[in-house]
Amino acid sequence: MKMHTKKMKIDVLTLAVQGALLAMFAMPVHAADDVNDEVAALKRPTNSVEIGVGNVSHQSAKFGEYSGLNAANVGVIGNFDLRGGSAYNGVADGMRWNINGRDLGTTSRSLGGSLSNQGKWDLSIGYDELRHNITDTYQTPQQGAMGGNVFTLPATFGTVNGNPANMNVPGVTGSSRVLTPIQQAAFHTEKVGTTRKNTSFAAAYIFNEQLSVNFDYNHLNQTGAKLIAGASQSGLTPGSTWRAEAVSVLMNPTNYKTDNFNLALNWLGDSGHLTGAYYGSIFRDGYNSLSWQNSFTNNAASLSTCASGGACTYQANSMSTAPSNEFHQINLTGGYAFSSATKLAGGFSYGRNTQNDSYASALMFGGALPPQASLNGLVVTTHANLKLTNQTTKDLTLSAALKYNDRDNRTASNTYLYQSLNLAPNALTSYTGVNAPYSNRKTQLELAADYRIAKGQNLRVAYEREDIKRGCNNVVGGAQCVASPSSIEDKLALAYRMQATASVKLNAAYNYASRKATFDHNFLSNVGNRASILAGGANSVLNGGDFVGFVAYPYASRTQDMLKAGVNWQASEKLDLGLNGRYTSDKYDAVLGVQDGQNTSINLDATYSYSEESSVAAYASWQNGRRNMRSGANATFAGNGGTANVVPVNTYTNQLTDTSNAIGLNTKHTGLMGGKFELLGDLSYSLDKSRYSTQVPALLTCASTSLANSTLVCGDTPDIKTNVITLKLTGNYQVNKAGKVTLGYLFQQMKSSDFFYNGEAFGFTSGRMMPTGMMSPNYAIHAVAASYTLTF
Amino acid sequence: MKLFSKVLISCALLGSLVPVALAADNRNMGKDIGHVFLVSAEPAAKAVEVVKAAAKDLVLKGDAKCTVCHDESDSPKVLSISQTRHGVNADGRTPTCTSCHGESIAHLGHKGSSKPPKPDHMFGKNSATPVAERNQACLSCHSKDSKRHLWTGSAHQTNDVACTSCHQVHTNHDKVRDKRTQPEVCYTCHKEQRAQENRISHHPVGEGKVACSDCHNAHGSAGPKLLKKNTLNETCFTCHAEKRGPFLWEHQPVSEDCSNCHTPHGSNISPLLKSRAPFLCSECHNGPHNSKVPVAANAAGIQGGITATTATNPSESYTGRGCQNCHSMVHGSNHPAGALLHR
Repeated sequence: MKMHTKKMKIDVLTLAVQGALLAMFAMPVHAADDVNDEVAALKRPTNSVEIGVGNVSHQSAKFGEYSGLNAANVGVIGNFDLRGGSAYNGVADGMRWNINGRDLGTTSRSLGGSLSNQGKWDLSIGYDELRHNITDTYQTPQQGAMGGNVFTLPATFGTVNGNPANMNVPGVTGSSRVLTPIQQAAFHTEKVGTTRKNTSFAAAYIFNEQLSVNFDYNHLNQTGAKLIAGASQSGLTPGSTWRAEAVSVLMNPTNYKTDNFNLALNWLGDSGHLTGAYYGSIFRDGYNSLSWQNSFTNNAASLSTCASGGACTYQANSMSTAPSNEFHQINLTGGYAFSSATKLAGGFSYGRNTQNDSYASALMFGGALPPQASLNGLVVTTHANLKLTNQTTKDLTLSAALKYNDRDNRTASNTYLYQSLNLAPNALTSYTGVNAPYSNRKTQLELAADYRIAKGQNLRVAYEREDIKRGCNNVVGGAQCVASPSSIEDKLALAYRMQATASVKLNAAYNYASRKATFDHNFLSNVGNRASILAGGANSVLNGGDFVGFVAYPYASRTQDMLKAGVNWQASEKLDLGLNGRYTSDKYDAVLGVQDGQNTSINLDATYSYSEESSVAAYASWQNGRRNMRSGANATFAGNGGTANVVPVNTYTNQLTDTSNAIGLNTKHTGLMGGKFELLGDLSYSLDKSRYSTQVPALLTCASTSLANSTLVCGDTPDIKTNVITLKLTGNYQVNKAGKVTLGYLFQQMKSSDFFYNGEAFGFTSGRMMPTGMMSPNYAIHAVAASYTLTF
Repeated sequence: MKLFSKVLISCALLGSLVPVALAADNRNMGKDIGHVFLVSAEPAAKAVEVVKAAAKDLVLKGDAKCTVCHDESDSPKVLSISQTRHGVNADGRTPTCTSCHGESIAHLGHKGSSKPPKPDHMFGKNSATPVAERNQACLSCHSKDSKRHLWTGSAHQTNDVACTSCHQVHTNHDKVRDKRTQPEVCYTCHKEQRAQENRISHHPVGEGKVACSDCHNAHGSAGPKLLKKNTLNETCFTCHAEKRGPFLWEHQPVSEDCSNCHTPHGSNISPLLKSRAPFLCSECHNGPHNSKVPVAANAAGIQGGITATTATNPSESYTGRGCQNCHSMVHGSNHPAGALLHR
């Protein structure tokens, strides 16, 4: 801002002379041009085009997971943003347009465009691409391209561990997996990932000040695959459930197309507003099944073997893929201001979620067709919310809200034949199961008051009651389908804010919640062997097959405390400091199951702005979480009396500890090289660790290697550990008014270890699991980029 | 000599005013207060008044009385509002300076060399204007729609967050409305999420492909945690529609709440899991076959990790995907023989 009031101690005559000369001859032309240029530059649209090249030192799926930098080669940098339209010229229309593109040389590219006559209509289109790498170390002998749904084995592959004598059984020392040279040679590496291509279109039209309509449409085309395990018959003599599975990790195709669209009509009045909208989401899966060949057995139903190198046929298996489905929803939202102090706002939604995808092929149906060819599933969702707010006095704001959410699953319940994994695909069924279409209903009442105690001091008190009901509309036989039919949770929240001084702000809050859940330990699970359940069969009676006393944590009674506090201190005009922390504690009322959990976090931030455009900022975050679980041990342990349905004498505990540290430093330094060069730096480091510790307090000693019923294993798992360090340096050199050269350097290193991958390694997998050789991501990548940006 | 002086002074004044008049004829030209040469406070005030009366609007209707001082040299660049939607005069809803900053009579009428009083409403970080008053400037136009009508009483409103805590009005690049830069705005307060985004498993927020606002409505919502949709699951299904079902065989906690197993902002356990199988599963299952068996490290095992079995024979119930080696359809199965989520 110009200060026109500055006194100038200049002789009036001298000034007048200078002023006259300048004003008459020079200033009117040059100064005006300069000023006009500056003003025009601020008013006109800013266009930019950036082109350049970049190079990535190594290929890493994890490094390129979302960044689009998937390959170790030179790539093109392409970004542009172009704008225009007569509205920028100040003429009497609101026409503006824009086209833009980002990361055009990568698999994370995006393009967009818009055209609008502001105040009348808007149009926009967009395209966004995202390659999500999952792994580049997955190996499989299954033949078939990623994205397909049929995988086969080479005829010469032969069966693996076909000899039951070599079939490893938990608790029994046996031979490790041995793959023949032919089998080893059949493994090939696949780069597994999905690609999402998003196309969007939006339009809006304003009829008048009161009425407008808008529409948006989004088409998501997803290809590629994610990994999934498929289990089937192992070749071990059937009849021993859970000991005859054979596991293959497969590329589950994501041949998905999702269309989302929203059409809304908006009305705006003096005191109220109303929007009526239709939301539709249609999901289509190009497949309804995934099939693969089982390398553990020869022929369709046989447990026979076939030597590697021979002409073998294999057992075919299949599993379902995500079923196509639709969701259609009507939404009404609106508000009314009774006065400037009292307002009412609310909404209502009614949705129908349907699914009638044909079932997978008749393979593995257990010897008979299902009761219907498709599910004809229907879930009706209803939502309503109403919120009344009042601010009769400036210092007090009151609000009351009611929310209602209902998931009403009206899908029919039927009896389906179930086939255990240890059976051949077309063998007769093991038993029957009954599907349980789950419904739930949640009602929430919220009351809150915000009170301004004094200038700079606020107190908020809030109360909430949450009521949840669960159940099924219909289950064959009319049985109960959930263990916890209802819960009621009361929540109280207190929050206090204070502007302690002109530069110090404090805040603190405490929340308390108490959930009382009903839980039926006599609950009979409806899934699984229903006949056995009804007959009081072993391992299937009471408490859904869990030990009596065990409660799944989402359905357990619980008390929750949360305390948080923070301070922000603007130490000077240049220095900002912030410190905040949070502590939460959950305690569950359950004899067995999750007992408690605690989370703590502390965050420290500092920003030093040493000039108008230059600053240094640093942060540090520490987070720690713990979850303690107490669980019943092996059902046949002597102390249990041989039944699963009583609280066992012996128990084990398991603790999960998560620790997370993150620090960051970023800086922006401008004004270098005569104001032409700026340097941006970003350094971050994070270390995350997760560890499980199992203890057997009921026993004097813990075993290291046994599934025997007299001893239990215990100890700590190796840490699941991830360490990431990132350094980004960007230099921008302003070549001239319109041109800028950017040089960028990125270094990122990830070191991770995860016991998950131990079970995937060759020679270390379970005797009935085909190894994949996948490895925990580790990389150190250098990337450089150079680009030129033209701004006009 | 006196006569000569008078002539020169007259020329100076005339010379300085001519460009003003010329500029007024050209809409694209800047204003010309810069050519008024000031000799003392009082003449300066008078000169400003003269120019105020003569100057034309630069961007917004009626902005002349402001832009006569708050010109192209202002920092931040207030005239850049021309490049925003607030700068389109053809749209009858477009505000002018005083729509947001108030009539600011004292500020406009200030005379003298002292620092002028602040406008009625200021929006900067250290503004003395109460947040509620600042927000009212925005809400007077932006509260009557389905995206913002639940602002009052929402988490951000009750925590004294100002619209301008997140939004920048005078620039064509409002950071919070750009997917690539939005997270840094949100992380200003949501520091736990900032750290979680660094974890090995995360949504592509830092990569600029998913924005916080893809899931959350910072202006208030009927959903939990300011989610855009009515429920958490409905929000997740927007992108993950393959998990919507309804499935023939439902997994009860999945049908109720994705966050029973997943954590959205980042996890050390892929994919965005709160815990790793089999421990994750053991939090809800403690009976069916191996779910009741404790699993732990086996010092003597070749796994160097997790197994409840012999050194040479780790169980597929615990290793790798654990329970999901067989119960792989944890989100639900549509296979008639998939009762136990096997297929």
